[in-house]
Amino acid sequence: MSAGPPTEQRVAIVTGVTVVGLVVAMLCGLVVGPTSIGTWRVLGDVLSHVGIGHSTLTGLQSTIVWQLRAPRMVLGLLAGAMLAVAGGTYQGVFRNPLADPYLLGVAAGAGLGATIAIVDVGSGLSTPAWTPLLAFGGAMVAVACTWLIGGKGLRSNAATLILAGVAVSALLTSMQTFLQQQSSANSITHVYLWLLGSLASADWSSVLLVIPYVGICILICVLSGRALDAMSVGEDESRSLGVRVRQVRLIVIAASSLGTAAIVSAVGLIGFVGIIVPHIVRLLVGTSYRRILPISVLFGAAFLVFCDTIARTVMAPSELPLGVVTAVIGAPVFVVILSLRRASVR
Amino acid sequence: MSWVDVEHVSVKVGAATLISDITLGVEPGTWCTIIGPNGAGKTTLVEAVAGLRRIASGTVQIAGQSISALNERERARLVSLVPQHPQVPAGMTVHDYVALGRVAYHGVLRAPSAGDKRVVNEVLERLSLASFAQRDVATLSGGERQRMVLARALAQSTMVIVLDEPTTGLDLRHQMDLLELLKKEVAECGLTIIATLHDLTLAGQFADRLVLLDQGVVVIDGAARDVIRSHELSDHYGMNLRVIDVDGSDVIVPVRN
Repeated sequence: MSAGPPTEQRVAIVTGVTVVGLVVAMLCGLVVGPTSIGTWRVLGDVLSHVGIGHSTLTGLQSTIVWQLRAPRMVLGLLAGAMLAVAGGTYQGVFRNPLADPYLLGVAAGAGLGATIAIVDVGSGLSTPAWTPLLAFGGAMVAVACTWLIGGKGLRSNAATLILAGVAVSALLTSMQTFLQQQSSANSITHVYLWLLGSLASADWSSVLLVIPYVGICILICVLSGRALDAMSVGEDESRSLGVRVRQVRLIVIAASSLGTAAIVSAVGLIGFVGIIVPHIVRLLVGTSYRRILPISVLFGAAFLVFCDTIARTVMAPSELPLGVVTAVIGAPVFVVILSLRRASVR
Repeated sequence: MSWVDVEHVSVKVGAATLISDITLGVEPGTWCTIIGPNGAGKTTLVEAVAGLRRIASGTVQIAGQSISALNERERARLVSLVPQHPQVPAGMTVHDYVALGRVAYHGVLRAPSAGDKRVVNEVLERLSLASFAQRDVATLSGGERQRMVLARALAQSTMVIVLDEPTTGLDLRHQMDLLELLKKEVAECGLTIIATLHDLTLAGQFADRLVLLDQGVVVIDGAARDVIRSHELSDHYGMNLRVIDVDGSDVIVPVRN
């Protein structure tokens, strides 16, 4: 790893390795699980779906692969890609390395929405079906409040928006804590499990529900790379260069927040991916958002599916919270890349 | 009507008036330098010309087009800015930094065209930056960095360049180099320069015209030599300034009272 701006060759190598990692993670997502089904048999089944060869899976095995593991893997891909690209976009638009997709209150709003669903609507006995809807609504209301408080939208600046996000998050979190404190021990468990984030309840309907939002939002975030590069010289300078800073900020914040809210409503709060993946990618391919954002999509998707495979296998049949695994795997990876980078700069 | 027309412009922040009722016309191919003590409103005036300040009253027109009626992209094709403290994002190459000057032409969604790339390479060559085009901007010296910021402004291919204290932080040699470079661009490309400068000697030697601001209003406006030799200059700076003729050039020296 050499110091200074990355060469095209290094970017190509990182992209290639990330794509290979993504394919491996997807295969892991389909193959690995408590029920042992051979890798080649699963691969054969996948190929049979595109008209190559014949499947040797039994009906039950096919159901396990295509109705349990596949939607979970696809939702993991979408969640990882969305959280990573939203984190990278937020870091670019706010020019703040500590920004993550939950910066403007998405997590607190979704948490409050889910708690209302579980504690009040569902009487705390289970996680009701409309939890994702209320979580999504809570997240969007939170971001809208942040946007309005932080200087009425287009005229706001980045610092004011961040502060408004902190205030809105604090208020909504305190409301959620109060609701939890007033509820039964059983409902606290359900709320807590939801907050930790999990892909366990993934099915094709949840994938189909989020895919339109997430697909469009990822596309908008990736396309914002050139604008974010221009905005890296500060607001006034980028305006003098011809960038419509306020409009760009509105569009990319709306896309990042909407996509994140859709993902959070489906899988709960998965931490660490949004903040750490863009930083890992930045260390590997340099500071240009034209490179960081698309590679973060691939890296985030592979990373989350890989972490989910670990989460559901190391303590099978019970599962580890996904957020715990993302942090335990992501932090050391980040530290290793950071030390390699520092060593090469010296 | 002049090429750059500032008419009765006032800029306010809250209750404070930063500049008041300023009228100024700058002809094409002219170097106009704004001078004045700290807090006179120099930066506010040049930022208003660059379209970065909300104007409370009056108009700024460039080539007959009102700056406030244009969007950022249209404005960036008319006037470019060299700020006093440019933000230089570490990790970006000199080439990519200069190429930001073409964003107004290709937009933020499209890649630079062959024409954009040609302009960037020409500017890099002209300003002797081609040899470190692939260097990280954070590794440049102060002089190289300022030349790079000027290159970005030139890559915008505007007929008007606004510079706010472009020599800040440079030693004498690099100050002269930068200003000579600008003078050459004015002579060869017919650029119109509106700059602020604290160094009155350099201001007098390079500008065609000097405008002295004090407390947000224009107090003297005229040919550089006349303004430098004006008796009122000392009064507005609140100190004793003496003008010495050195080989035909005016040198302004502060004298202790």
